[in-house]
Amino acid sequence: MMTLHGVDVYIWIDTTPELPKTFGKMTLTLISNRGTRVYPPPAPDIALLNWPRCRYESDTELTDAEIQELVNEITKLGFRWTKCQKLFREDGNNLYSQAY
Amino acid sequence: MAHKVALIRGDGTGPELVAAVEKIFKAAKVEIDWVDVEAGLKCVEAGKPIVPDETIATIKEIGVGLKGPMTTPIGKGSVSPNVTLRKKLDLYACVRPVRSLPGVVTPFDNLDIVIFRENTEDLYAQIEYMATDQVAHSVKLISKFSTERISRAAFEYARANNRKKVVCVHKANIMKVGDGLFLRTFQEVAKEYPEIESWDNIVDNQCMQLVLRWKIYDMLVLPNLYGDIVSDLAAGMMGGLGVAPGANYGTNCAVFEAVHGSAPKYTGLDKVNPTALLLSGTLMLDHLGEHDARKNIEGALEATLTKGIKTYDLGGSAKLSEFTDAICSELK
Repeated sequence: MMTLHGVDVYIWIDTTPELPKTFGKMTLTLISNRGTRVYPPPAPDIALLNWPRCRYESDTELTDAEIQELVNEITKLGFRWTKCQKLFREDGNNLYSQAY
Repeated sequence: MAHKVALIRGDGTGPELVAAVEKIFKAAKVEIDWVDVEAGLKCVEAGKPIVPDETIATIKEIGVGLKGPMTTPIGKGSVSPNVTLRKKLDLYACVRPVRSLPGVVTPFDNLDIVIFRENTEDLYAQIEYMATDQVAHSVKLISKFSTERISRAAFEYARANNRKKVVCVHKANIMKVGDGLFLRTFQEVAKEYPEIESWDNIVDNQCMQLVLRWKIYDMLVLPNLYGDIVSDLAAGMMGGLGVAPGANYGTNCAVFEAVHGSAPKYTGLDKVNPTALLLSGTLMLDHLGEHDARKNIEGALEATLTKGIKTYDLGGSAKLSEFTDAICSELK
């Protein structure tokens, strides 16, 4: 049974965004650019695209409403997001890839 | 003054291949100050990342690296050391020259093509999800920025190396957005190089063209996945991965590598072919400005092959050490 444990929010921005480190039950665990981790530090010295992937995760199961609240908060903070992808787990295993 | 080069000896047969290259370089009187850096299975066994941050930092500081083949551990959470190096050092251009070698008999005579593979994005961004219990979703990421820089790198290479034709390889007839961006961006860059002929081919057609009309091709530029596949196809046309060199260039850094695996079952048997790593090393010599040394070593290799001295993979019976010594004896 797949359970919801987070979301990847893709933001249209030229830099690595300064986002809340936590929101509700969720923690900002990763920001990647072209699949390469740039947060948490150290960030490698790589060329950045204007489409970072910002990952919020929770070890406890989440509801769609909690994801929606996070996305609303990111919008309120003035970030222009372009895509969101829910993150599921099954039997404790992530059903999504990790960043390099 | 000796050139400083970061050296990853690799896994499996990597260390013995690297030792062969070191011996040939020394015999050719190329002054290299090798700086050993750690990566690979030994790091994993010691509880470290497969490519530690110190290794990345050292290669970045030195600016040039030579890498023996490494093993990607199979299992949960394991990552490819090769992909890690490319991503963390932003080595955006994978350059794979393929050419006929004397004594290496293939159906493809007078082969001479240089392949430029974009190395940092496409499906290799490795952004993947299970979207439902039945559907997996992988993101194919193509950017204007990365396509511009790989295209420009290819045209600059063509200009510097007297190459006349550059072909963009894509599947924009189906992936009109992603591959369409790749193709359009290539075409925009091509306008800056009017003296170089350029056109485009759909990737499946390009594969057929390569095996039927290889002599008309000079250089190819491809997104990451097609580049991975086509460069191995071309390596086969050259005689196999045992003879095909590779180089990865970034803005301020370059890493040269044989593209074959670490062949662990042959470790310590004095059996494997050092040609791919040696030719990767001579690409490195060119990068370092040691053009005469490159010619000398490649000439010695070709003389050795022409005499029929070959390792098992090329139908010969020479051991690695015998093949290495034969090359050294042909040096001028």
